[in-house]
Amino acid sequence: MMDIAFYILSAIAIWSGWRVFRVDSMIRATFALMVSFICVGGIALLMSADYIGIATVFMMAVEMMVMGLFMVMFMMNPAGLNPMQMVHQYRLSIGAGIVAFIGLTVAVLATDLPHNPLPADRDTMRDLGINLLGGSMLIFETAGVTLLATMLGAVILSSRRGRFGNSDVGAVPPGLQPGGTPAGRKVEAGGGHGGHGGHGGHDMKIVKTPEHEDMGHTHHEMAEEKPAVSDAEPMDQRDHAVGHKQGAKAAEPLKPEHDHSPDPHKDHGNTPKKEP
Amino acid sequence: MSFAIALIEMLTFMIFGVFLAAVLDAFFYRRIAGRSGVSLLMPLYAAAAHLSRQRLTTEAPDRLNWFLSISGFLALGAIGLAVVPFGPQTAVIGMETSVVLWGACESLVVVLVFLHGWSPNSPLALIGAYRYVAIGLPIMLLSMFVLIAVALPAESLDLRAIVISQEGLWNVIRQPLGLPLFLLLGLSLTLRGPLDYGDSADLAGGTSIEDSGANRAGWQVARLAMLVGFSAVAASAFLGGYLGPVLPGIVWLALKTLTVMAVIIAMGHLLARMPVARMLGLIWKVLLPIAFLDLLLAGLVALP
Repeated sequence: MMDIAFYILSAIAIWSGWRVFRVDSMIRATFALMVSFICVGGIALLMSADYIGIATVFMMAVEMMVMGLFMVMFMMNPAGLNPMQMVHQYRLSIGAGIVAFIGLTVAVLATDLPHNPLPADRDTMRDLGINLLGGSMLIFETAGVTLLATMLGAVILSSRRGRFGNSDVGAVPPGLQPGGTPAGRKVEAGGGHGGHGGHGGHDMKIVKTPEHEDMGHTHHEMAEEKPAVSDAEPMDQRDHAVGHKQGAKAAEPLKPEHDHSPDPHKDHGNTPKKEP
Repeated sequence: MSFAIALIEMLTFMIFGVFLAAVLDAFFYRRIAGRSGVSLLMPLYAAAAHLSRQRLTTEAPDRLNWFLSISGFLALGAIGLAVVPFGPQTAVIGMETSVVLWGACESLVVVLVFLHGWSPNSPLALIGAYRYVAIGLPIMLLSMFVLIAVALPAESLDLRAIVISQEGLWNVIRQPLGLPLFLLLGLSLTLRGPLDYGDSADLAGGTSIEDSGANRAGWQVARLAMLVGFSAVAASAFLGGYLGPVLPGIVWLALKTLTVMAVIIAMGHLLARMPVARMLGLIWKVLLPIAFLDLLLAGLVALP
């Protein structure tokens, strides 16, 4: 019974892991990876590591959700619906795959894996807690803070250089004529949508000072607002409706002169997978 | 054998719960709209109407994920109810980490609601999906702290032990901040009222805009099932679950679940929804510190 469950979970884990590289959408790839990890969590449950197993499930669910959103945002593939190739640099990746497989296999075969079955009434959760907050606390806390700092740093570094130049010097789309006024929809202070609310560090062009302090109102009003620059290309109503969700879309037809960021159509999936 | 009995109890509980939730929902809606008269058959009529309609679909949807999101949502509601003890030591899923399992269900809800909005390949559904993730994740963080606070006096992550720990004093009194915060999570999990950023009317139905026929019926039933599962968990974690005099434990649990359910439905109909950005500010700047405070107080009480 236990063995059957183990084989089923392993099979699903391997199959969904393989699907990560075969599907054509980042969201599908993300959740295929999530299914794979959840199956590994199930295997941990079978090994009566209750807490680790279930914690894996909920960590992975949250993590993959956030990862999927970040991939969609950084790849500028609105919604993650556009089909894209998830595999690239074939020769390098095949080589890396073979090397990693051999390395892991050697590591597994060479390690003297412990095989002492636990008694059924052993409180593994208590052992884990004592270990996490006892002798190893310093290690775990240091690792945690380091990882957090790394994540913040990575986001800050990678979000500085935007589609139309560095964000801290005022990223403005190029004009329709050379040297003309910036095209596209004007960005409200603070980026308008969602969690970008508070921080005033954005040097975006402020077209109109919002009447209300809070950003929530402004991003609804934004949809009705006419472009302040008269020669800017008028957008059709559909763009308005979708616009406040997919800010970059309004300016999409214009080719930026300085192509800072990878164009998703040209460069299929430069970084399709972020390390979990 | 006891497992089979618990399973049958759970399924009965779920079916009646979903039915009563639908009736309560209709009752509150009509009451607020100034109309009277609620028939007990209304949910059945609605279900029959949905099931007899044809199923429409969009251009190039992701059918597998669409189906999985609906059935998975239903399953998560059922798992929520399954970790709830119906009496001392009788829960369908009786494990040492049942509160963590419920936490995993909460986080998978965010994933599944997102997938439900993503799969139809339709703009309003997609907006609903992204909006829901933005709100659903921080609300879930809140509930994690609240649940840890509940686990502290019990010194266990087992919902059965948490219920037993409330024999002297219910957690709703011992940790007054806990239940209100947890109810917000319920609004978010069941996509209701002030925290309904996924399926709201301002997006013409949001993630469920493209659902039709059996799919729509399935999604609505799944939302109600999640409401039942959540209410039972809340009743066990804060209102002493099956504990109570005279009446059998499962009746007490049912009464408390029904109360939580009614409160959630009423809040869903009575409270207004804020803009996403303002709600995000509220969650991160106000509610999350309150959740920390709740945890701190629980820790100080549990320390001696």
